[in-house]
Amino acid sequence: MRNRVREQRTQRGMSQAEVAAALGVSRQTVISIENGRYLPSLPLAFRIARYFDLPVDKMFDPDHEEADR
Amino acid sequence: MMSFIRPRPRLRKPAWTVLAGAVFAAAWVIRGGPQWWLFVTLVAVATAGRAFAFYAWAGEDDDVGALAGSRADERQKQLSLRSRALAFNLTALAAFAGLTAAVALRASWWWPFAVTLGTLGLGYLFGLSSYGIAEEGPADDPASERQPPAPVSR
Repeated sequence: MRNRVREQRTQRGMSQAEVAAALGVSRQTVISIENGRYLPSLPLAFRIARYFDLPVDKMFDPDHEEADR
Repeated sequence: MMSFIRPRPRLRKPAWTVLAGAVFAAAWVIRGGPQWWLFVTLVAVATAGRAFAFYAWAGEDDDVGALAGSRADERQKQLSLRSRALAFNLTALAAFAGLTAAVALRASWWWPFAVTLGTLGLGYLFGLSSYGIAEEGPADDPASERQPPAPVSR
């Protein structure tokens, strides 16, 4: 599942550590989500979408499944 | 003691390590014997080393540090859970192999393997019961109960 976390984060000029602190997760988890190696739980997915002010289905695109593990 | 440790997650694993070490050292004291103090000293040194290692790891900014410092997020908890599941499977495999070998050799040391397998099995059943298996309730449409289960995609 492709996501737009990296795109949204860089657009806002934020570091992974800043996003991680805002979401209450580790920097390593933000990296894993950005790289598509980890699919966040539903609550975390909603937190991410809310944080970047996007609908969750715009933040996470289920039609791109090439990165799923 | 707990009120001191609870707000300091970095101390949780070292504290459990020290507690386990103290219990094990007490077993050596109760056992007695000519050199009980030597074994107690060894346990104390190993416990101190392990507790210090946990404390030091907890200061690292990585997944191991987060787990050692009891501040893991959902992905890190999932990593730990999967590692525990792997350890469960390997332990069950080793215990089964040991039990099979003991039976084949008519050995008297079969029972630790049987106890291990039994504990794993009971623990698994207890986990299924604790974490809510069979709590889904009846289907809202009785006809759906006769239909084959829907495929689950991952």
